[in-house]
Amino acid sequence: MKLVPLLIGGILGIGAGVASALFTTGMIGSGVRLSGGVDVNGWQSDWTIGSAAANPWTRARIARHGLLALTKEEAVYFTKATDDEGKPLSEGCIYRVSGGDMPALWWSVTLYNAESYLPSNDDKALSYDMTKAEAAGSPDAWSFTISPTAPAEGGWVSSKAAGAFDLTLRLYKPSADLIADPEATLPAPAIARVSCGG
Amino acid sequence: MKGFLTGLTAFLVALVLAHLLVVNALPGKIMSKVRGRMAEAGLPVHHWQMSGRVSPQNQAVVRPAPDLAYAICLIDLSKGPVELDVPAWDQYGSLSVFSARTDNVYAGSLDARVAGTPDVRRLVVALEKQDVSTAGDAEVVRVKQPEALALIRRLAPTQEAYDAAAALVPESRCKPL
Repeated sequence: MKLVPLLIGGILGIGAGVASALFTTGMIGSGVRLSGGVDVNGWQSDWTIGSAAANPWTRARIARHGLLALTKEEAVYFTKATDDEGKPLSEGCIYRVSGGDMPALWWSVTLYNAESYLPSNDDKALSYDMTKAEAAGSPDAWSFTISPTAPAEGGWVSSKAAGAFDLTLRLYKPSADLIADPEATLPAPAIARVSCGG
Repeated sequence: MKGFLTGLTAFLVALVLAHLLVVNALPGKIMSKVRGRMAEAGLPVHHWQMSGRVSPQNQAVVRPAPDLAYAICLIDLSKGPVELDVPAWDQYGSLSVFSARTDNVYAGSLDARVAGTPDVRRLVVALEKQDVSTAGDAEVVRVKQPEALALIRRLAPTQEAYDAAAALVPESRCKPL
């Protein structure tokens, strides 16, 4: 009687298919990158974001973690979830993020929690961007602190209530060189862990 | 042995089919859910709506940029093409259109400092076979499904800049062609 193994195999297969789809597309977890991936010192992006040419897994992952993202000619998005020593970014640590002039019309670095939302705090310190770097008088050599409480001075992005978080670097109207060769062109910001605990 | 092979074959076929069906359906489902939430919140179609200033308490979608001011128009092409008219300004800004399956099918600058940016960006969104002969000099973008979404982004890191962006919404149009 082949009907029973057919039914059992079919039902188990459907379950496995649905589960694998949810995991690979980032509905559960962060998903997998199959193509178009860009990695600049741990800052990761996908050059097919927003494009009709993106593969179905990328499209679904971006729908979950970056809905309404633009194609690379308009904006590029890099995300990093670890410091420069490879340790996961965490609310329990203090970090110093630094960088230089970015090859784009405007850029920003924003902190998101593990669910891809802004952390639930009212510190009004959600991001650092080019206008703040210019206001500080150093758009070519900027830096800011990430910590759950405000530092004594300098730029600050609050990680209060963020838990395990990541940073998204947005570059709007990126230069043609950045689009053509991101690994060679992007001066990836450094994320130095200053201290943890206490 | 034959039973095991039958079961294994059924398992593999069902796995692949279910996997591909779900992966391809997800973007449309997510976009539809977001549109539904916006409609429930009172956003009508063919009407530019300024989103409140992005904060942890006000996040309509994942990963919103707190330095940008957003205006959204829900588009329904089931009764014909829709025209978008959006003024430029002297800071970073863009007009973008997204299809029902989340593809960014159009992006145009609203930054008057960028060469080629018109004072008012005019765009017509239409289904593939819809008549756009009255579009005039507007750009035309074609989509395959009636539901689409238009988004205006403007650089607004301060309340003052956000208010300036909001003041441009009444000068913008999202209406049937």
